[in-house]
Amino acid sequence: MNKYRCIFLMGIERALEYRVSFLLSMLSAVFPIIIQTAMWNYLYGHSDAAAIFGYEHGQILMYTLLATLVSQLTSAGFEWEMNEDIKMGGLNKYLVRPVSYKWHRFFGFMGQKIPRFMVIGPVAACIIAAARFWKGLPITAARVFVFVCSLVLAMMLNFYIFYCIGLLGCWLTDVGKLFGTVSIVLTVVSGGIFPLDIFGGVVEKIVNILPFGYTAQFPVNIINGRFGWERIGIGIAMQAGWILLFACLGEALWRRGMKRYVGIGG
Amino acid sequence: MKRYLKLLGVFAKYSLMSVLEYRINFVAGVTVELGWMLIKLFYVAIVYKAGVSIGILTPDHILLFIGTYVLMTGIYMLYYNNFTSLPGMVQRGDLDLYLVKPVSLQFYVSMRHLDFPMFLTNVVAGTVMIVIGWRLAGLPVGAVQIGGFLFFLVCGCLLTYSLFLLPYLISFWTVSVGGIGDITAALWDFNNMPSMIYGKWMQRIGTFILPVFVITNFPGLFVMGELSVGMAVWGIAAPVLFFVISRMLWKKALRNYSSASS
Repeated sequence: MNKYRCIFLMGIERALEYRVSFLLSMLSAVFPIIIQTAMWNYLYGHSDAAAIFGYEHGQILMYTLLATLVSQLTSAGFEWEMNEDIKMGGLNKYLVRPVSYKWHRFFGFMGQKIPRFMVIGPVAACIIAAARFWKGLPITAARVFVFVCSLVLAMMLNFYIFYCIGLLGCWLTDVGKLFGTVSIVLTVVSGGIFPLDIFGGVVEKIVNILPFGYTAQFPVNIINGRFGWERIGIGIAMQAGWILLFACLGEALWRRGMKRYVGIGG
Repeated sequence: MKRYLKLLGVFAKYSLMSVLEYRINFVAGVTVELGWMLIKLFYVAIVYKAGVSIGILTPDHILLFIGTYVLMTGIYMLYYNNFTSLPGMVQRGDLDLYLVKPVSLQFYVSMRHLDFPMFLTNVVAGTVMIVIGWRLAGLPVGAVQIGGFLFFLVCGCLLTYSLFLLPYLISFWTVSVGGIGDITAALWDFNNMPSMIYGKWMQRIGTFILPVFVITNFPGLFVMGELSVGMAVWGIAAPVLFFVISRMLWKKALRNYSSASS
């Protein structure tokens, strides 16, 4: 276990390497929030939007603020490195060491999120507190606790999804642009920009079944008070189920991929 | 002038040839751009779902405005990569070679590589949205409207080029622009919605100080007949003004250029 602790600490150090670019990347997330907030304020001010979209005004504003933060927290990015490892033979050094590549990636990923969490955490706490006292959203200690739990599950789920995507590098020659497309599309379908269940009906049903919504939309809807306890219970079970499924898929892909892996270079 | 147009044609030809050499890259470029399009279309979907007018703009008008934004994004993206690679060229001293060429350095550096996958995706989608929005909103289709719309689009193109070049010129002094590029790129997205949804002060700043709103709002407003004479004058003056500023700053920046390597 000690070796994984080291990898975890290395991840933290790596995230702190480029502090300015890290802060600026967080700052450039502010503009979309301003645009969306202006739009929601206008729509809620001039129509019966709460009935149309199924979100209260306070809930949707909180969603806009927190969804961006949550998707920054759960976003992967290591799929590029995995592809590099597979293509350039960098995987060799993990294969001969007594570490599991998957756990190496996992602890590195979690470690890299810690500094981000330390910035996002207080900001999110302020937003949640403000929403509680000014907008009167029903936020209790229990809700915050479940929110944090589902956030960790969301990070794990997103890790496994992108681990599987990264392993596709064993089969596909040029995955660079594919990764770009996948990460944008997944940000959208996970509800990282707008909640997808505002469209109701079939869209909402599909979103509830697919795994992607459980990486961003679901945790946020816990904390903004939209979901009742029953819905939260089902959601967490769905999160756990999808994690299990993608973990198995990742295992299968890894086994097959390693049969194809030739280890050139390194 | 004729020489520059010919040169632009040559740049376009080479960019297109290099894209077509690796066709799968072309397809992949279009796919990435379609991913971003999804986000822009979401705004349209939300506006239609709410079915609410923003001031004088019905959802159909808003579709026209967002279409203009998508179209202009395509035109901006055509040469955007040249802007982002400018700091690197300053850093490595790559400009030396281009300085001695008998063409305007600014033209050469900012138009050399043209990105067709991004351009085509956005221009096609934007045009479709504009046409649909125009028809659904029942706006008149006359020579004056179409001519004026195109005229303000051209003004918008010039303004985009001049305004968004400015932050990259900072690299001549600081060598690296860091996150400034990201932030100005985010500024561009304010046009994803018509300027009327923003507060009064943001509208004023976005129209007169950092005139991003002029770029995509004025063509639509003109077609609707809602562009006052004063605003129309500003719509023509701002691109000229900012072009002159960017030109002056470019010259000043270049004097600061110290060839880095050999």
